[in-house]
Amino acid sequence: MPDLEKEKPAAAVTTETPTPPPPPSAKPAPPAEAPGQQYFFGEPLVGFDPSEITGSLIVIEGMDGSGRSTQITLLQEWLESEGFAVQTSGLRRSNLVGRDIDELLAKNAVTRLTLALMYATDFFDQVEHRILPALRSGTIVLADRYIFTLIGRGVVRGINRDYMSGLYAMALRPHLTFWLNVRPETAFGREFRKAQAISYWEAGRDMSLSHDLYWSFIRYQTMIKREFEVMAKKHNFSELDGEASVSAVNKLLRQRIAEQLGIRSTKYTPSSALSYLWR
Amino acid sequence: METQDAVLKPARTEPAKSTLPQPGRPVPSRAYPGALIVVEGTDGSGKSTQLYLLKRWLEIGGYRLHFTEWNSSPLVKSATRRGKQRRLLTPTTFSLLHAADFADRCERQIMPLLQGDYLVLADRYIYTAFARDSARGCSPRWLRNLYRFAPVPDITFYFRAPLDVAVNRILSGRPKLKYYEAGMDLGMSYDRAESFRLFQARILEEYDKMVETDNFVVLDGTMPVNKLQKQMRDIVASKIDLKRFAPRAEAAE
Repeated sequence: MPDLEKEKPAAAVTTETPTPPPPPSAKPAPPAEAPGQQYFFGEPLVGFDPSEITGSLIVIEGMDGSGRSTQITLLQEWLESEGFAVQTSGLRRSNLVGRDIDELLAKNAVTRLTLALMYATDFFDQVEHRILPALRSGTIVLADRYIFTLIGRGVVRGINRDYMSGLYAMALRPHLTFWLNVRPETAFGREFRKAQAISYWEAGRDMSLSHDLYWSFIRYQTMIKREFEVMAKKHNFSELDGEASVSAVNKLLRQRIAEQLGIRSTKYTPSSALSYLWR
Repeated sequence: METQDAVLKPARTEPAKSTLPQPGRPVPSRAYPGALIVVEGTDGSGKSTQLYLLKRWLEIGGYRLHFTEWNSSPLVKSATRRGKQRRLLTPTTFSLLHAADFADRCERQIMPLLQGDYLVLADRYIYTAFARDSARGCSPRWLRNLYRFAPVPDITFYFRAPLDVAVNRILSGRPKLKYYEAGMDLGMSYDRAESFRLFQARILEEYDKMVETDNFVVLDGTMPVNKLQKQMRDIVASKIDLKRFAPRAEAAE
């Protein structure tokens, strides 16, 4: 150990500054609200004029098993029957990196930050190539999950919260954001019925919360849910009880959307093709 | 301009439970025991040649080191290639994809090696993204946030060459400039060489803005190669305690 002894002086010098000052390149934390905040969360998107938007962006958030996709399928049919053009979007659907993310997830060699940035790439590719063009042409965009899921997933994995929201500073502010809130226990049952198994990522197994997959799922989804509670207040989500019946949730969604779009009637019965969803 | 002083690192003791800041927070150079040396500059500024020579010098001396290049992570490569070939990239996604590439190298190579007491040499670093992506119109504030997880280098060499010198070095040596490389996505000119020149001028301007804020050590890229290398080696030797990175056998004596 004589070598360690020799290096002591260096250690002595650094202990003088027990709290290291921030490095020169660090700037104060991000987004005080900037211009364009009416349309974006922080910064405007490069080369885009928000006044061109004539459509509406409607976001449905909620954990796996909260009934998001079912509701979106039904809402699309309802809106189309009312004569609106509808487009849907969701995670990992970009042409640019959608499939690459699938591969990364399958291999699970990827670390949390890289994955968070790949999801951000996927998100903005869809915003620029699909969502914005649709909104410019007056289409209703129904988003199955949005930045809130992505921010929540990063934060529960220990990535700094300001960092995550700064990443999505140029995301468009939705016209409506719904949160289908369910208990993780209910979500577990629904998800298990779907696939007869619980997937690696749904259970948050990368976080080593428990070897018991049930508990891993419950703990992980509870952490995500807590993040949603924080964001729901901050961003004014419409929170709906995701454990109510499909038709009851759908009715509430239609009422709020009808208000937003100026549709007079909220009457709707699914076509026979979709009636199996109407439990 | 004042250059940064040699950074004194604490002696290596048993690992504490959590030694690193949370991802998304800056990592000051005191936070890790290794040393990070970075070269930056426009295309054709001579930085890669100089870093190669520095690497050879250190390799021949037997120092523990790792060399890493911008945009080289295998995990993200296919996406970047596809985006470039099909011209799917916008300034925002171009920037994010490079950040993902960097994050992968950072989390799986750079940080573990810096924690493991290695010298890490990086050909281009986050300043390339700051210069290039803000030249493309990305918000500087957003970019700074995007790379906030990156460890701050111990030395950042900035190879500065006048626009004409650098541009001519590239144009004379390369048969055809690639679409994004030439900044064709910015629509400044239909002529690739002309577009490249205009794009490089913007990048040079952005680099110059960072000289003081980010403590660049500015070197003259027009100097003869060997003289420039001598300067670079002197600076490295004066700022970094190279003995730390000598072969471990020697340390055991």
